[in-house]
Amino acid sequence: MTGEEKNLLARREGLALLIGGAAAGALIRPRAAAAQPSDVEQLERLLVLEHRLASLYELALARDAIDPRLGRTLLDHEREHVRGLEQTLRARGRRSPRATVPPPRLGAALGSRAGFARFAIDLESETVSTYQEVLATLRNTRLLLPLGSIMTSSAQHVVALREVAGEDLLARP
Amino acid sequence: MLRSVTAFEHAAAAAWVAIGEQLRGDARGYARRIQAREEEHAERLSTLIRELGGEPPGGRPPEEYAPQFARMHNEDEALRFAADLEERLVRAHLHALQTLPGADQRRTVAEIAAEEAEDLAVVQALSGEPAAQLAFVTGT
Repeated sequence: MTGEEKNLLARREGLALLIGGAAAGALIRPRAAAAQPSDVEQLERLLVLEHRLASLYELALARDAIDPRLGRTLLDHEREHVRGLEQTLRARGRRSPRATVPPPRLGAALGSRAGFARFAIDLESETVSTYQEVLATLRNTRLLLPLGSIMTSSAQHVVALREVAGEDLLARP
Repeated sequence: MLRSVTAFEHAAAAAWVAIGEQLRGDARGYARRIQAREEEHAERLSTLIRELGGEPPGGRPPEEYAPQFARMHNEDEALRFAADLEERLVRAHLHALQTLPGADQRRTVAEIAAEEAEDLAVVQALSGEPAAQLAFVTGT
């Protein structure tokens, strides 16, 4: 199987699971568990982070703050993540939230490719941690695999960014 | 399921010793560190199993694992085996996630899955390929 075919297969599998899982499961918060965020709220939280990353890579590409090939790959991945989460939320009749405020310190980070990579590592790492929180508490277990496969993709983004920042590939926070 | 993933982690730690023997320079250094991470994963999973009242599987002597490993005569073959191993580890952990009822258990397994995906990305980078290739990393 070629890399492209593998990519297509993984994308189809991820999206199908994401959408199918959402449609099949009960995503609405039960009254008894009101203290914990509902699955929909958790998905919305992830979507905001994915929108933020997509906007970040769009801007970095426009400002030449990232190698174009890597930037396009990461942006494509973020758009796939956004699409999957939006479709899942739409299946529950929810509108998609959007991040409208750029993260702080972004202006300075766009000054160099290494600086941008370090900035993006922080945001990607925060996103991975948020996925881990969500995966720990999500009620709809059919969403665990597709959301987990986005988390693992984001973890690989961190390694790709460490590589271009000239950092140790397995650095720990 | 947790017992099976723990046994897999023990085997993976042994496999990384064999992989490291075929690598040089930085790659060999990464192999040592990934091998240590697999041992740490096995320990974390063993703790989870004990908390659930079970008895975790222990590791076996390296010579018992060796016949299960792909033949490796050079660096390319070692990295191909390493990529296959890490893909399988990612998949095993993502599937294990679905079987766990407790938040702490799920969080631990999710953290390990992320580290396995990182290890896979490192192997891809060492192979001269892009570290991040897929929008959905499900493993094989």
